[in-house]
Amino acid sequence: MKLSPAALLRLLSRFAFALTLAGVSMAAAAQNMILIGAPLPLTGGLAPEGLKLQRGYDLWAEEVNKTGGISVGNARMPVKMVYYDYQSNTPRAVQLAEKLITDDKVNFLFSPFGSGATKAASAVSEKYGVPTIAPTASSVEVYDQHYKNLFGTYTPNSTLTEPIAELVRKNAPQVARVAILARNDLYPLALAEEFERSSKARGLNVVYFEKYAIGTLDHASAITQMRAAKPDWIIATGYINDMVLVHKQMSDQNLRAPVVTMINGPAYQEFIDATGALANNVTTASWWHPAARYTSKDVFKSSENFTNLFRTKYKVEPDFTSAGAAVAGAVLQMAIETAGTLDRDKVRSALRDGKFATFFGPIAFGPEGYANSYTPPVLQIQGGKPVVLVPADIKMADFGLGV
Amino acid sequence: MLYLQVLVNGVLLGGLYSCIAVGFSLVWGVLNIINILHGSLIILGAYAAYFAFTLLGINPFVFVPLAGLLLFVLGYGLQAGVINRVMGASVLITLTLTFGLNLILENAMILAFKADYRKVVLDPPLGLIEIGTAILPRDRLYAMLLALILVGALYVLLRTTRIGRAIVAVRMDRDAAALMGVNVERIYAVTFGIGAFMAGAAGSLMSVMFPISPLTSVTFLGKAFVICVLGGLGSIPGVMVGGIMLGILESFGALWLGPDYSTTIAFVLLLVLLMFRPTGIMGKRGFD
Repeated sequence: MKLSPAALLRLLSRFAFALTLAGVSMAAAAQNMILIGAPLPLTGGLAPEGLKLQRGYDLWAEEVNKTGGISVGNARMPVKMVYYDYQSNTPRAVQLAEKLITDDKVNFLFSPFGSGATKAASAVSEKYGVPTIAPTASSVEVYDQHYKNLFGTYTPNSTLTEPIAELVRKNAPQVARVAILARNDLYPLALAEEFERSSKARGLNVVYFEKYAIGTLDHASAITQMRAAKPDWIIATGYINDMVLVHKQMSDQNLRAPVVTMINGPAYQEFIDATGALANNVTTASWWHPAARYTSKDVFKSSENFTNLFRTKYKVEPDFTSAGAAVAGAVLQMAIETAGTLDRDKVRSALRDGKFATFFGPIAFGPEGYANSYTPPVLQIQGGKPVVLVPADIKMADFGLGV
Repeated sequence: MLYLQVLVNGVLLGGLYSCIAVGFSLVWGVLNIINILHGSLIILGAYAAYFAFTLLGINPFVFVPLAGLLLFVLGYGLQAGVINRVMGASVLITLTLTFGLNLILENAMILAFKADYRKVVLDPPLGLIEIGTAILPRDRLYAMLLALILVGALYVLLRTTRIGRAIVAVRMDRDAAALMGVNVERIYAVTFGIGAFMAGAAGSLMSVMFPISPLTSVTFLGKAFVICVLGGLGSIPGVMVGGIMLGILESFGALWLGPDYSTTIAFVLLLVLLMFRPTGIMGKRGFD
């Protein structure tokens, strides 16, 4: 069949009209949804953490959408998460945060994983004035830029180190010498420095303090030096993979101590699976644990209900990273509902002034932008499971000595 | 006492490093291919060992030759089917080809195995040997010994067997070897296959000590580069010396300058050697 120029023109104009209609209806659909952007490290060194975050976000979005969506004024608007994989590469996370705001036109943002990437990406959300919830940034250095759009749901690092140091002082008076090995990365290093402060404040002698580079596979020399320093309390900071390696290589060299603390790692099931029986009595701290018993006004209603929903959907126990992601959604939802609009200025004000009763604990943001309203639990691996030592109201076991 | 333990740590690690690098050095030296795939082949060997251990209960130390054979088949196929087509081209072309193949393999592993870390956990653990004040973890010791046996076996293979001499002959003069009746393309494929065998065997040994993820491949590739420059491309003893030197340097570097700088030292040394002795410590042209 051969088309005349006029017929071809008619066909093209119909095609263009159909495209325009489709475009209009897509835009309308987008307007009826709340878009939330989240750059995630789904591949690369932080992939385990990326998956945990995604599970928390997905569960929250699913629960919200089951109820018809978030109440915005008189309407209910469903939530749509927009993810990009930043391959555990911080500069890429920053680029993708900008893409989410400018190309995908998201209404709000969740930060990438960890303090370093959160700090880097926070400059983008500040530039565009997009309220951003940081689910995994606890280092005060992230918040020292006094940005108005960054809200962190974790309490600062000192709220992890102080209770552990206090526990050690009370239960292990023989502990006098402390060795600290830190990943040279914003959060793990800041946490290690906080441990050093907490130890010195209690008169303990820090006999070893060293950093290791990101991606280090062999810690044998550091462990040999630690052994020579004869510490009573060994502290290692980093992420799961680092902690599995350090722990394995400590046992390779028979390095033992009355108290061994590792953050982050032991609170995750993967750490316990990878280290086996050797993990017993390792202490750690995290911002949340399934043993928490909070009644909440968020979509999850209570800590127990969140745990059950998570377990049903993913067939695993939730940990603090997944819970932290879900609570980022819960807090944003409550702020939008308080504001009654998607207007970013009003939602920002609601976040700044609100007190949110969540399954994660009571969340309110201090003037710097991070939460200052709850006590994170101290945990210890006992019998292949993390148990809560502190706070007293959800305590599951006594402090065990000897690793 | 401290120095003795640090030396022991360095030698144990260095033995493994030799095993990581020897296949890379062989392929570079004989085929003149900078095999960017090498790190991913090690990781593939480690995954094979991990699944053999978790699904079939095969100890990774026992699985070493099988992991090697699996990777030999893959390596032979890759060279015979793909890389042989560009063997006459410049080193940049083969580098780009292996770079592309590496992207495919790495991403295929991320899809198939996910990027999270897995670990072979021997239960009960193999334990330690204490000699005086020095402690030797048995798994590292066995892995190092096996690695050195493999490297030694490769040395014997190249020096004493027909196929080994053919490999050396092709490296020395491809045209003369062809005139003597050597099937050059087949020798290329066998050599690449042997390089992959060593990578697979090293991966199986690594799985006992280090967590496995497709993303650690670049770390192993980086080590292989440094060792080849340290020891020189010319000989297997060079790779052994380069590997053990790197292990010892990293150990003492971590002791004197802090663990944060152990990798930096290796790369500074690489730069110094490239400037003042680009053939490496024992380097010479070709394999013999």
